[in-house]
Amino acid sequence: MRPLKPKRNLKLCAVWVFCVLAVIRLDALTMSELLNDPKMTPKRFASLFEHFKFEMHPFDVQDPNQFLGTECGDCIDYAVLADYVLKLKGFGTRLIRVEMIGKNTGHAVCYVTENRAYLDYNNRKYAFKLERSGPTIREVAAKVADSFDANWTYAQEFTFDYQTFNKRAVFTVVKTDPPAKDPDKVKPQAQRAKPNS
Amino acid sequence: MQDKTIRRVLAFFLLISAVLIVVAVQAVRNINRSVATSDWVNHTHAVILEAEALRSALYVGDGALHTYVLTGDARDLAACRDALANVTEHLEITKALTRFEPAQHEQTIQLDSQVNQRTGFLQGILAAQQAGNAETVRAMLTVDASRTALRDIQRKIEKLKADELALLTERDNASYLQAQATRWTVWAGVVLDVLLLGGVAWLIRDDLAARRRVTVALQEANEQLESRVKARTAELAAANTQLSTENLERQWANQALEHQLRYNQLIVDSISDLVLVITKALNISRVNPAVIHLTGLESTALINQPLASVVRLLPAHPGVDAPLLDPVAQALKDGRDLRDQLAIVEDKRGRQIPVRFTLIPLRDRDKVVGGVVTLQIVPPEVKAEE
Repeated sequence: MRPLKPKRNLKLCAVWVFCVLAVIRLDALTMSELLNDPKMTPKRFASLFEHFKFEMHPFDVQDPNQFLGTECGDCIDYAVLADYVLKLKGFGTRLIRVEMIGKNTGHAVCYVTENRAYLDYNNRKYAFKLERSGPTIREVAAKVADSFDANWTYAQEFTFDYQTFNKRAVFTVVKTDPPAKDPDKVKPQAQRAKPNS
Repeated sequence: MQDKTIRRVLAFFLLISAVLIVVAVQAVRNINRSVATSDWVNHTHAVILEAEALRSALYVGDGALHTYVLTGDARDLAACRDALANVTEHLEITKALTRFEPAQHEQTIQLDSQVNQRTGFLQGILAAQQAGNAETVRAMLTVDASRTALRDIQRKIEKLKADELALLTERDNASYLQAQATRWTVWAGVVLDVLLLGGVAWLIRDDLAARRRVTVALQEANEQLESRVKARTAELAAANTQLSTENLERQWANQALEHQLRYNQLIVDSISDLVLVITKALNISRVNPAVIHLTGLESTALINQPLASVVRLLPAHPGVDAPLLDPVAQALKDGRDLRDQLAIVEDKRGRQIPVRFTLIPLRDRDKVVGGVVTLQIVPPEVKAEE
């Protein structure tokens, strides 16, 4: 058996290190990677979650590190994380949850004002990860409910704080109410920003 | 008939289209109403669920608070805070859901006030517990021993749920009635359209039958006409043959007549005696060449001239005056001949030539229409004797 040459060993080590780093990067997406990505966009954000699994979490919103580490979560984990990361990157984001009582389900998405579209955990594996929609809660709710082949009952814009893990309602729109009197139409953008501050 | 049928069929089809459009519009409106009712049913369920979740969160919060007071465990504190946050969330949603239902909204406002008081009370206990003020905590819990406020809230929630269930029944009935109305509309439309299509089919069948009858009648009429045309053609052909024969015979007769006329003319013209044809009014209508020759006058100068301007009867005996009545006119009137009367013809130069005058009346169907005068020049020897 011939001894390995030192130059060849070096090459092999470099390849091994690169592979390990690549695997770590793919396996464990971290919060700091998301926050430090200079090219982060809603589309790029969505593409990082293609391989994530769906798993309902009993305690509402998961810790983001747990979500990223386990690569398992539900719509609200994804939406809240998208809202957090993209807001820090300067995007205008809004968290919207849609309740479909007839279907006995609810769904949360993160609307990005600049893209006039929302990020939906159910679309993470599709080519079009951003679902285009009008900016009102009613429009987003109708679109989300359509994707479930269901009627929506009410939808709520809310904020979430990772520090306190508290959700706060901003506007609640009820489907049976007159659309002209929807609170997100009646009240200006300033009111929307109030709960965040 | 054809235009009338087409108009009727078009009218039927317009009616069918109108019925279809009405049914479609009505069905879509019913479906929209049904969807709206379904939304209201979901809405009612949502209110009930939120009210139930609110009650549940209140009880969970209350329980967690009591546990926290007993154990002082931070996890119980977190559970209590979570539950209180959920109470606020469910209350907000319930308020939003009943925003446009005055009766329910009023109840929710009252509930909100009571729930806020209750959460405020619980927050107070938490604050006292965290501050280590056990006496205050005990006093507050003692005051709340009967949990009257919580029972009041529960009653309110039950009332709200009962009202919502009543609404649910109402909305479910409405949904059922709308579905029934849609069924009735669609079936009524279908039946009406089928009837109208039947009407169109009957109309077309009737029209086809009428057309068949007309075709048969037309065919019969054509056949009759054809036979009449044939008969008439045969009649015409026979008449034509007869006419041709008659024409030929008439042609022959005319030729014979012409020939006879020319022959007569030749006879008259060849007579050396003077022949004058006069009318009933004693005007000359025709002369033979002997007259022209004797008088030296052209026929144009003689024709239509009175007979007396050419020939004049002499008295029967010399020295006797001329008769009062013109014997020529009298003879014509009587329809008798006048023979061998002495007469004088005056020629162009005024020379008087003695002639024997004979008048024979010309009859046409026993009616005297004129007369033929023949004049024989009297030879000189006879003249001398006379």
